[in-house]
Parts: sequence; structure tokens; C-alpha cells
Amino acid sequence: MTTRKRIESVEELVAFRDAARGSASTAGASPDRRQVLVCTGGGCIASGSLEVAASFRRALAARGLEGGVQLLETGCLGPCARGPVVVVYPDGTFYQQVKPSDVDEIVDSHLVRGAIVSRLVNRHSATGELVPQIRDLEFFRKQVKIVLRNCGVIDPLKIEDYVARDGYAALAKALTRMTPEQVVEEVKASGLRGRGGGGFPTGLKWAFARKTPGEVKYVLCNADEGDPGAFMDRSVLEGDPHSVIEAMAIAGYAIGAHQGFVYVRAEYPLAIERLGIAIAQARECGFLGQNILGTGFDFDLEIRKGSGAFVCGEETALMTSIEGNRGEPRPRPPFPAVKGLWGRPSLLNNVETYANIAPILLNGAAWYASYGTERSKGTKVFALAGAVRNTGLVEIPIGMPLGELIYEVGGGIPGNKTFKAAQMGGPSGGCIPVEHLGVPVDYESLIELGAIIGSGGLIVMDDDACMVDVARFFLEFCQDESCGKCAPCRIGTKRMLEILERICEGRGEEGDVERLIALGNTIKDTALCGLGQTAPNPVLSTIRYFRHEYDAHIRDKRCPAGACSALVRAPCQNACPAGVDVPGFVSLVAEGRYAEAMRWHRERNPFASICARVCFHPCESKCRRVTLDSPVAIRGVKRFMVDRDVAMELPEVRPDPANAARQVAIVGAGPAGLSAAYFLARLGYRPTVYEAEEKAGGMLVQTIPAYRLPRDRLAQEIALIESMGVTIRTGMRLGRDFTLKTLRDAGCQAVFLGIGAQKGSRLGVPHDDAPGVTEALSFLRSANLSEGFAAGRNVVVVGGGNAAIDAARTALRRGAERVTIVYRRRRSEMPAWEEEIDEALHEGVVLETLAAPVEVQVADGRVTGLVCQRMELGSYDRSGRRRPVPIKGEIFTIPADQVIAAIGQSVDAAGLFGDLPVELDRDGRVQADPRTGRTSVEWIYAGGDATLGPSSVVEAIAAGERAAAAIDEALTGADHAFWRRNVPVDTAFDPDADPSPLPRAPAWLRPVEERKGSFAEVELGWSEEVARGEARRCLRCDWRETCNQEVQRW
Amino acid sequence: MVNLTINGIPVQVPEGTTVLQAARHASIRIPTLCYLENVQAIGACRVCMVEIEGARTLVPSCVAPVAEGMKVRTNTERVRNARRTVMELLMSDHAGDCKTCERNDDCEFQALARDLGIRQVSWEGAKSPARLDASTPALVRDTGKCVLCRRCVTVCHGVQDVGALFPQARGFQTVVGPAFGRDLATVTCVQCGQCASVCPVGAISERDDTDKVWAALEDPTKFVVVQTAPAIRAALGEEFGFEPGTLVTGKMTAALRRLGFDAVFDTNFTADLTILEEGTELLHRLKAALAGNGTGTPADGEGHGEPAHGPGPLPLATSCCPAWIKNCEHFHPDFLPHLSTCKSPQQMFGAAAKTYYSRRIAKHPSDVFVVSVMPCTAKKFEAARPEMEASWQRDVDVVLTTRELARMIQAAGIDFVNLPDEAMDQPMGMSTGAADIFANTGGVMEAALRTAYEIVTGRPLPFDGLRVAPIESLEGIKEAALTFRGVLPEWNFLEGVTARVAVAHGLANANRLVDRIRKGEASYHFIEVMSCPGGCIGGGGQPRPTTDAVRKARIEAIYREDQSKAMRKSHENPQVRAAYEAFFQAPNSELSHRFLHTRYFGRDRV
Repeated sequence: MTTRKRIESVEELVAFRDAARGSASTAGASPDRRQVLVCTGGGCIASGSLEVAASFRRALAARGLEGGVQLLETGCLGPCARGPVVVVYPDGTFYQQVKPSDVDEIVDSHLVRGAIVSRLVNRHSATGELVPQIRDLEFFRKQVKIVLRNCGVIDPLKIEDYVARDGYAALAKALTRMTPEQVVEEVKASGLRGRGGGGFPTGLKWAFARKTPGEVKYVLCNADEGDPGAFMDRSVLEGDPHSVIEAMAIAGYAIGAHQGFVYVRAEYPLAIERLGIAIAQARECGFLGQNILGTGFDFDLEIRKGSGAFVCGEETALMTSIEGNRGEPRPRPPFPAVKGLWGRPSLLNNVETYANIAPILLNGAAWYASYGTERSKGTKVFALAGAVRNTGLVEIPIGMPLGELIYEVGGGIPGNKTFKAAQMGGPSGGCIPVEHLGVPVDYESLIELGAIIGSGGLIVMDDDACMVDVARFFLEFCQDESCGKCAPCRIGTKRMLEILERICEGRGEEGDVERLIALGNTIKDTALCGLGQTAPNPVLSTIRYFRHEYDAHIRDKRCPAGACSALVRAPCQNACPAGVDVPGFVSLVAEGRYAEAMRWHRERNPFASICARVCFHPCESKCRRVTLDSPVAIRGVKRFMVDRDVAMELPEVRPDPANAARQVAIVGAGPAGLSAAYFLARLGYRPTVYEAEEKAGGMLVQTIPAYRLPRDRLAQEIALIESMGVTIRTGMRLGRDFTLKTLRDAGCQAVFLGIGAQKGSRLGVPHDDAPGVTEALSFLRSANLSEGFAAGRNVVVVGGGNAAIDAARTALRRGAERVTIVYRRRRSEMPAWEEEIDEALHEGVVLETLAAPVEVQVADGRVTGLVCQRMELGSYDRSGRRRPVPIKGEIFTIPADQVIAAIGQSVDAAGLFGDLPVELDRDGRVQADPRTGRTSVEWIYAGGDATLGPSSVVEAIAAGERAAAAIDEALTGADHAFWRRNVPVDTAFDPDADPSPLPRAPAWLRPVEERKGSFAEVELGWSEEVARGEARRCLRCDWRETCNQEVQRW
Repeated sequence: MVNLTINGIPVQVPEGTTVLQAARHASIRIPTLCYLENVQAIGACRVCMVEIEGARTLVPSCVAPVAEGMKVRTNTERVRNARRTVMELLMSDHAGDCKTCERNDDCEFQALARDLGIRQVSWEGAKSPARLDASTPALVRDTGKCVLCRRCVTVCHGVQDVGALFPQARGFQTVVGPAFGRDLATVTCVQCGQCASVCPVGAISERDDTDKVWAALEDPTKFVVVQTAPAIRAALGEEFGFEPGTLVTGKMTAALRRLGFDAVFDTNFTADLTILEEGTELLHRLKAALAGNGTGTPADGEGHGEPAHGPGPLPLATSCCPAWIKNCEHFHPDFLPHLSTCKSPQQMFGAAAKTYYSRRIAKHPSDVFVVSVMPCTAKKFEAARPEMEASWQRDVDVVLTTRELARMIQAAGIDFVNLPDEAMDQPMGMSTGAADIFANTGGVMEAALRTAYEIVTGRPLPFDGLRVAPIESLEGIKEAALTFRGVLPEWNFLEGVTARVAVAHGLANANRLVDRIRKGEASYHFIEVMSCPGGCIGGGGQPRPTTDAVRKARIEAIYREDQSKAMRKSHENPQVRAAYEAFFQAPNSELSHRFLHTRYFGRDRV
């Protein structure tokens, strides 16, 4: 290292800066300078960037390019998940996940021949186009870098690089052109607030510290960054250490202090090393020490290492620790500004706060305050982590909507999962659910939602996250890190943790949630320091937004997300609403034991053949195989299994004369009603099912097109149920042919309503009742039930759900020449299943997204078209999706002779219940206890679409099963649901063997040209070889060392 | 002055007052647990929470300073709920074996639960790690009972400067104990018992040795002798409902006799003996220093107290307090030569009882069983020191604290309150007022001055009522000067000499005094140190609580006892003189050195 000349005056600083600009390695400093920037932030070092840098050094030397190409090792650029990252200037090409072996190619291709190495370049997440330039990356586009202005741009080990970018100019300005009061006023006017978590106005803090009289004062920097996942302070210290040194010297001048301490956690060795080098360089240049810049101001800095106690990030504990004592908080008042380190007035800010100071002084408070919101100014650095594509460090203007931060800067949720919550503010922060994605990220708004900005940790969670488990995790952290001084934090958080652990293990009790709330609130009100006062936040905020998950754990002993191992036998089984033992039947198929597999499946679900075709298979979306390659094609395995089922074996039925004598009626022979009948029959009941239509099967026969569900299989399964002692009476419509009262009067002890949601919603635009306008259900019903039905020639379907797709594909098969689906959002937001949309498009359906109907065009009393409004996506709504808003003036018309509305269904309750007080909810659905199906009338139960609105077959099956068990329990006083016992399957499994290397088998589909006009089934079954191979891909998450597998009881 | 309202009542208090103090001023009680007046206010337990208008959370009143216009509420639903929750949480992590706990009915924690009206503990769960440390002869620690109030930590560090107890580990695993989880016996603990004195629960207590005494009393072959330290008589009554400062010498004597002790004696007797020995030692050292035979600076080397090496350096330091001795052995090994070689009165008594007295009653020393009743836990340690075998066996067999004696009296069914006053047995029940004041800080010094001055000048100490007022207060370090004039011929090297003395109580003060002496910032001829604040009356074995008000009351009682005595100077004690004549020859004689003096050893700090 060359020794540096001491800078004695502002003039010398200017000269130094000009010289540095000429020679310094600042990125993109000059358009004719070729540079290779290798990120050496902690994240990229962990993924091997030091080796990459070394490879560049060698490669450049080997080609004699050392002189012509400058190699820079910079601090963190932010996109850590893509590390090691390399940027090549002057063009600014961004290379990601660069391995040492890629370096020769980059040098030869890019630096020698000028051709970008496209395989290492980022692609646009939606379009897949190459995005080579760093400034074009989605990740950077919305960022505003003030704190991180030099990170990833300069060599942190060279003070010249810092000075070249106006480093120490703010200190010079403060010392020569501002009074200390003016400095304080400038900081005050900027609106900067403490970035360590509290958000206290920084200028005010400086003013207090300035005002307190004292010969000796201290300036302290909190670099004890301890929030799991947060690393912005580390990045600043590693990537731009002088920004903190300069700011602390300015603070010293402002408050009248001559000594500062930076308290860095010992777990940051690289930050300590680089800061130490920077301090030494600053001393050498005279930015620290005596008579700084010849102004007579003295200030020096020392590093103090903290040994990793989270609580030492609390200001009083931090000072106690610097003093050499056990790091524990002490009561305030007195505040540090009055009595701080060693009893002296002290100013404590964190790294990120200090990093804002120099730009504020140089560019003015007004410039800084132009970013942010009314009460929260400037920018904030966030550490994006968890279920988000672009994990890493981002700096955004305060006030950006959370959804924008996650979906645009963060790139959204990977792996086709849905966003569930954002945990903000570190372990003591809170969770923000999907309905608040539109919240502006600022101090006040987040506090209102029970979260905090905190130090800027942001963990994105998808539907795999169990919120009870998340709360338990964060509370465990706080409990571990409690200093143990005050009782509420030491014992209270432990007691909360114990309750949470119990809940996660399935030992939760009624009242636990109330206990958590009461204790949590008292801890917040009584704990000594910020750690304890905020430790209950993750629990309280998850209870606030995810109370239903707590209830599922406590009441149903069920973890809906499939995360709590004590409650989850296998994630697929856990995800199945009907609780089918997926690994059980899949492993039986793998062994070729098809009849047993079928029996195994029928234990929990009588409609294997239906589910094999139309189930939306939540099991597959939870399959752990995805961590290896892709999920097991469970539905495909099931499809093969049912195709092999020739015997149609009856399941176990336990005859019971007493039950046989009990009259139970079921209204509706859809999947819910038939499933209720099936399970009641297994307990010896002989229920009667009343069906309004002429054919049993409900929606399955009425609306699901036959190309998805062949009718003969359905008929066989219904026949099987009848053979178990169930009577189905078709043509019996409730309210017309019988009433609930007549059933009751005839001795019926319980009634199950599986009446579906039969009423389709209208479009709600002018002429939506014109001839040619229909809604999807009646369209599908007619198409499915009446031979010779013909659709229009030019059909427009409005909606984005499965009913819309069914209607569109059915229309094609019923003679339509052109079918258009109009949907007001984007394709990615369509609720229909991805593969159904794909197939519809294959078959020629046109998708018109971002369009909403405004009027049905009518001529001569007939539909001639649909007038649509072009939409764009606006702010996030409560469903967590961006709200479609009209683009003024963009109106267009789609010619049509038939318009089908597929925009929602409700229960057609008119005249159904007589004067019985069966309560409906706001959406017109029957209100029923989700666990039992019991309605507001004690002997009436309900389930399926009637209670849920349009939902899935498997949910209807599950509702029927639950109601059957509940009816039996109500009538007999005991629980007899024997099929709920989890019996371990006797298939072979070697836990030490490597998993099957086979990739997921694709579905075999009928060629598109064969489908048009045909209702032949589109999906074809696999061969035995393919099916058994696929079944062997199962990882057998159900397998346990111990035999006691009876974990699920719900 | 600051004006505020508490529960709507206007209160005016000086600036700097805490809300807790202001509330007490206004006759409003706020429950506390970790708070200890004049010693600890750290806001740790969160029991004293109050509502202050405008504050985001509740506020711990023990550390919250008053402010002008402040509005405090101490009895709202929010406050009551918080206090109860905190208390129930503490109880959920507490051993809870109240019925068999030594502190049953004398427990601040129990009383707090009662005051807060707790009828059930709503929170249950794991208990933090519990450990029983019975490694020392003096103290037993049971972390399962600890409520982590940290009073012991503050006393051990702040008041005693010993630093043997720390909070260890974090969060729910936090325990208070010696560093690295070690046993108390392996660290610098001086066993003063101040931790036990301030412990609100039964987490630190004296080792209970009453069973050994009961056994000896039952043993027909044993002649069981009891000695009671001067501080007992001013405090024992508190255990039976008497006001602090009530003297119960006569009732105590009667109770001891009813317990079955064969002879009821007084440590005061050997206190008088100590004065003669230590006074003589002082005069020797003065002579050596002033007549040029000594340097007055600390001598070098180990094995101090050998009479063969001649008089030790000045200042002479008292050696009655075993915790002070251990403190010097750990922290000031260079200062050991300054310590008087005299055994403490307890050990002089033990040695005398098993030699002089056993010969007098014609019993073999092994048939004499010596029980001490001491205000002190360190005395248990002292009696167990290997050097304390002047009679070729343990000189003192069992040491009881005041609290243990009270338990024996209770267990024996003795109606202490209504006992008649009885007198001690002879010869070792005889004492002077000078011996009584050994219980108080400054008392040993005063007693020594009373005798030394009279020996040197032939006249009584020229102070009002023989009281050396400057050294009697509760100041931490006290000084006095006394000029010898008109000395007897044999002491003429002292003519006109101003003897400078200093008194320290509380080991932090003592250490400060030693540091000053070591650095040459102060120079004395004689210093007195008692480890416990207030002296032995505030000892670690005394009835709880021991507050400054209680200390003052006990000190005054001791002076009343002194002033009620006909003889108030140790050298006047006829039984002491008789003992010299019959057995010990003369102060600092070879025999007295053999039986009544001892030596000290440097000890490691870790």
C-alpha cells in the first residue's frame, strides 16, 4: 500500500478528488475505460466470487489485458441469489452465477471480441427475453440507491474511489461552511428517521445530543445487525465503509464529540476488516484524528466487537456492552443523549442511517425529502428473502406498495406458489397478509397493520408456510436471545413459545389463542426493552390475519400448510381435502397391487375415477419431490389405477341394525351428497338421496364436459354406492316434490344438503338478458344433458375460472367456429387450472385478457357482439392481485352471437327451506360449521358448493365425509369414523436407497385434431410401465422409523 | 420541587425522586420485588409497573424519575393485570415447594403473591435449570427457587466488591451464580452472606446446621457450651415479633438454657480478651514503628502473623471479621501482614472453651461441644478453617446464625416472648460494654481505643461517655484522630503522637480504604473493617429484612447495652484477668499466641 498524503485543507481535498477521478477504478467512470467488476459482498463470496475474481486476474494476465481492462472487487450489488455476479463496463453487461470456468469465455468473447455471453445473462421473468444491461434489469429499475450509492460501484479498500465519488466532501462542507447547528437543522429538515428499527427522527436525536451539556460526548454506530436475514449494514460496511466514517465525523462535529465507536458484531469479520482498513486510510488522509482538514476539529473512531447477542442491538445494551459489561438493556430514561456511554451524552445511530448523512449534506435536505412519503422520507434498504425470485438487497423509496416491492423489484413468487404473507421487520416484526399487498411501505402504515419496517428484513412466504410455525420460529429466536433480565421477556416469551410448540404438535387446547393474545399484550406492555416489547409481534400479527390456521391446528389437529411435522404424515395426504393416503395407494401401484391400491383409495374417497380426471390435485402442489425435480404425477397414477379397476370391490361396510333404522335423507346426488351417503352406508345407515334431475351425479354429469369425465365411469361408481344400501330417488326437487319439513315429519333424523350452487351470476351490463346471453352453468347443463344442443357460431365467454374454460371448450365441440374468453386481468391471474387453459388454447380458444365487458351489443333483439373495455392493472386489491382499471377510451367490440357469463355462482335458495331458519352467508351460501357441516338448524347439515360456492369435487367429497361422521356422532353420541385411522401401508421402502431418477411422466393427450366436435376423453391413460415408474418416484414422506403412524385424527 | 399527581392525589417531591418513592411519600404502596432501597433499582422484575399518562407502555416506578405535571395511576385494571401476569410468570418458573421452604412465611415472594391476590397460576411450563450448590460450609444456593431479582448480584458486586455472583446464560436459561457455572466454594466468595440477607426467597440461605446441635444436645457424653455474639441480642427478638432494636439478652439466655445447653456463655467475654490481645499488638506495632524498629509499611512474603518475626507493619487492621480476612486473602495478599494476628472472638472462645474452660471443669476437650450463635454466615467458614484447632480438634463445633437459633427456639416450643430474663453462666459469660459494641461498625475500634488510651495514659478515653462519635455512623469510611498526651513513662514514645484510625464497613468501602493506604493517599495506625454494612448487627445471618432503619435500631440497642453496663472497658473484665492468671499468662504471651492468635494465607482469585 502506498502511503497517502495527509489532506490539510479543502483545497487539497478537491485536488485529491480530481486526481482520484483520473485514476480511480470507479465503475463506469469513463465510457472508454473497460472494467470488470466482481462483487465481493458476503453473499457472492459465499458462492465463490473470490475464485471468479482470481480467474479473471489470471485470464486477463494470460491475454496481456491487465493494462487495458481494470478488474475491480466491489461491495454488494444486491441480487445475492444470482451470485457470483460480474458487471462488465463500459456497456454495463450483467452476468450472473458466474463460475470460474466461465471466465475464459467472458474474456475471450466479451472483452476480446465484443460479443456478450448470453447464457450468463439474465432473462425477463415473463417474456424470457435477454436483458443484458444492468440498468434494464427489473431488479434495479425501481430502486433508488442513496445508502447503497457506492456499493458494488467502488473498491471499498481504496479511499481514492470513495473520494472520487465526492467522498468526504460533505464533511468538508460541514466543517468549513456550516455551523454545528446548521448541520443538525439540515438533518432535521431531511426528515431522515432512524433506520435501525425505531424510526425516531434522526435530526431530533442529534439536536438532543447537541443540547445536552458535556465536555465529553460520544458518537456511536450500531452495526450489531442481528435480524435474521438482514444484511444491509454489513453490505455498507463491506462495500462502502467510508460513508459511515464520514457521517460519524460529521455527527461528532454536530453534537460536539471527538470520539466515536462502531459496535460491530464479531460475526462480520469481513466488515470489521474493511472498516478497519478504511479507518486507517481515513486517519492517514487526515479525515480522522487531530485538526481535520485544517479546521481544528478533532475526531477519531474505534471499532468495538460485539460477541453476537441480539439484544446488544438495543441501544442501552449496546452501550453496556461497550463498557465491558454483560450486554443487557437498562431502563430509559435516562436516554443516551443525556446519559449514555460511561454516563456521557451519546449519539447512537445505525449504519444505514449514517450512510444517508453525506448525501443529505451534499444535495440538501429538500432533495432527500423529495423521496418517500409525507412522514417517512428518503429510501429504505430491504433484505428480500424467502419465497421471492430476486432475493437480495434492494433500496427503494419509502412508500412503494408492498406488492410492487415483492412482484416487481422482487420478481414475484417462484414455483407457481401463491403469496401468503410478508414477514417484515425482523423477528419482532409482523406478518402482512395478501389482502394488504397494496400497503405503502412506510413506518406508520406498517405499524397500523401490526408490522414494522424494523431494520428492513422482508421474508416472503408462500402457501407452504404454516403461520403458526412461522410465529413459533420467530418467537423461539427472541426467546433464545432474551437477555433474561426482565421477567415478562424471560418467562413470558417462554410460556408463549411453549403454547405454540404445543399447538404445532397437535396438543393445542381451546383458549390457547386467547392465552397467547393476553400474554402477548401484557409482555408488550411490561417488558424492559424493545426486544421484549416486540417479541410477541409475530404471534399477535399471525393470529390477527391467520386465526383460521391456529384454529385448524387446535381444533382439527391439522396443519393446512403441511409444515408441522407432528400433524403431517405426508404433505400430499395433508393437502388432500379428503385425506387420501396418497403414498399408500401410489406405492401399491408401484408394486403392481392395483386392487389393493383402489381399496386403499376408497377408504377416504369413493370417487377415484372422477378424481383421477378432474381433481385439481392439491397433493401434487405439495409434493416434496419438487425439491429434487418435479412433483409425482399423482393424478396420472390414479388415472392408471382406476383404469385397472375392473372388480369395483366394495369397501368395508359395518352393518348396524340400529343405524339402519335411523332415517337420514340427503338432498342432491352430487359428489358431496353421494359421498355423505357412501360414508353413512359404511356405518350401516341406509340413507335416501333425493336428486332433482333425472340423473344422479350433480355437477359431475351436468356441467363437467364428458371430454374430461366419461359418464360410464361415473355411473359405475354411483352404482357401487347404491349397492352399499343407498337409495337414490331422482326427479325429486326440494321445495317442489318434497320439503325439509315433510322429511322431518316422516321421521327423518338428519338431512344433508348437497344442493350445489346452481345460480349463475349475470354480467351486470346493459342487455345482459338479451336472447343469446346465457350463463355458463345452464349452457353446460344443456350441452351435457341434451343431445343435439348447438352452441352459437361466434361465442364469447366472460370469466377466468374453470367454468369459463369448460364452456369455451364445450362450445367448440358443439359447433362454435370461434370462441373467445374475455378476462379482465392477465392470464397469470386466471383462477382456472393452468393445463386446462393450455388445452383450450391448443384447441383454438382465443384469450382476450385485460378486457371487461361494458355492454352486450344487440341488433334485432339478438346478440351481435360484446362491447369491451381495455383494462390495465392498478393497485393491489384485497385479494392480493392488482386491480384491473379501465384505460380511458379504449373500447372495442368482439362480434358474437352468443355470450356466456362464467363469473360466479350462488345457491338458489328461494323456496328451499320453507320457514326453517337455515342461515345463509353474505354470498348467499348455506352457513355451516366447516368441521361438521352442521347448519343453524340442528338436524340439517350441508356441504360442497352449497356452502363453499363453486369449488372442487374433492372438497365436496371431503365435506360429505365430514358431515357423515358428524351426523353419526350426533345420532349415536360417539365417533365411529373408522376409516380415519391411518394404517401404515405394507409396501416395501428402503429409506437408504437413492430416489428413483425418473423424470415426471407427462400426461398422454388425444391429438388436438381429433378433439374438435368430439366429447371423447382428451386425456389418455398411461401404459403400465410408465405408471409404475411414475409411482416409484414417490419419496414416501409417510414412512416412519417407528410404527406409530396414527398422527392424523380429523 | 416537582409536582405530580398519583391516583389523582397531588404530590410534591424533590427533583430526582422516583415515582416509587413519591408514591410512598403519598402513602400509596406499590409492590416491588427486585427493588432494594439504597442498593438496587434496576427495573428488572416489572412488578412495580404503573401507568403514566402519555407513556406508550407501563413504566417501572422504581426507576422512573418524577416529572412536572406527571399523572401516575397505580391501581388500574391494566396495572393490576400486568402485575399479576408478571407475578404469575415468575411463580410458574419458581420451585414452589413453599410448605417445606426455609422461607415459608418469611418470604417476600409469597407475601407479594398474597398482596396481589393471586389464587392460581395461569401459566405453566418448563422450569429453568435448577441446581443446588452446597459446596461451602456457610451458604446453600438453590437456583430452582431463584427469581432472578439480582439483589444478590448487586450486593455482591456493588456493596461487597466481591463479584462472585453473576447472571449467566441468556433468556429462560439465565441463572445467577459463580462464573462458568462453578461452585461457590471454588470462587472468591467470602461467604459474608449478604446475598442471603437480601434474597427475597429461599434461593440463597445459610447452611442449616441445627440438626448437629440437636444431636449434641441429645448426646449425654457431650458437655454442650454455647456462645452468643454481641449482635444476636439486638436482633433475635425480631424473629419473635419484637421491634428492631429490642434487646433480648435475658430472654435469649433463658431460651438457650431451655434448649438444653450446659453452659450459656458470651462471645463478649472473648471480645474483651481480643481487645487486650489486639490492643497490645497495636501498641507493640506502634512502638516498633515509632521507636524505629519497624517501617510501618507492608512487609513482604507469606505466612504472616509469625510472632517470631516481630511486630507487623502499620496500620494494624482488625481481624474479627472472617469475610474480611478471606477478602484480604483473595484480593489483597500483600496486605495480610497488616492484619492483626488475633483470632476472632468466636475462635478465641472456642480455643478458650476447649482448653482453659475444659480444664477448669475437668473435662476432656473432646467431651466439650462448642456451639456459636453468630449474626454471620462466614463464621461457619471460619470455624471450619483447618488452623482453628488450638485444642487439637475443632475449637468451635457448630456455628448457628441468629435465624437458625430462632428456628430451634420455635421448634422446641419455647414461648420466647414470655420468657423471664436470665443471666449468663460464669466465667465466660462475663463481659464489658466494650465487648458489646463489637457488634457495630466502629465498635471494635472504639473498644480498642478505650483500653489502649487508658493503658497508655492511665486515664479514660477523653470523649463523652467513651463514645467515639465520628466512627459510629453509617458512613462507609470513617476516620478519627486521637492525640496521646500525658502518657505513662513506659509509653513515652507515644507522647504527642496523634493516632489516626479509620473504620470501614462493607467490603467495597474496605477495598477502597486498602487501595488508599496502598497508594499512600492515606496513612493510619489502626483500621477496623467489618464486611457487612453496619457491622455484625447487619450480618448475613441476621433476621430479614436488614434495612438501614433496622441497622440503626440495632446499633442504638447495642449502645444502650454498652451504656447499661457497669464495666465498659475490656481491661476491666475480672474474668478475663482471671483467665490470664489461670491460663493465658499475659496478652501476646507465648501461650496466648499459641491459643489465641492465628495466621493467614494468600488465596487464588479464580
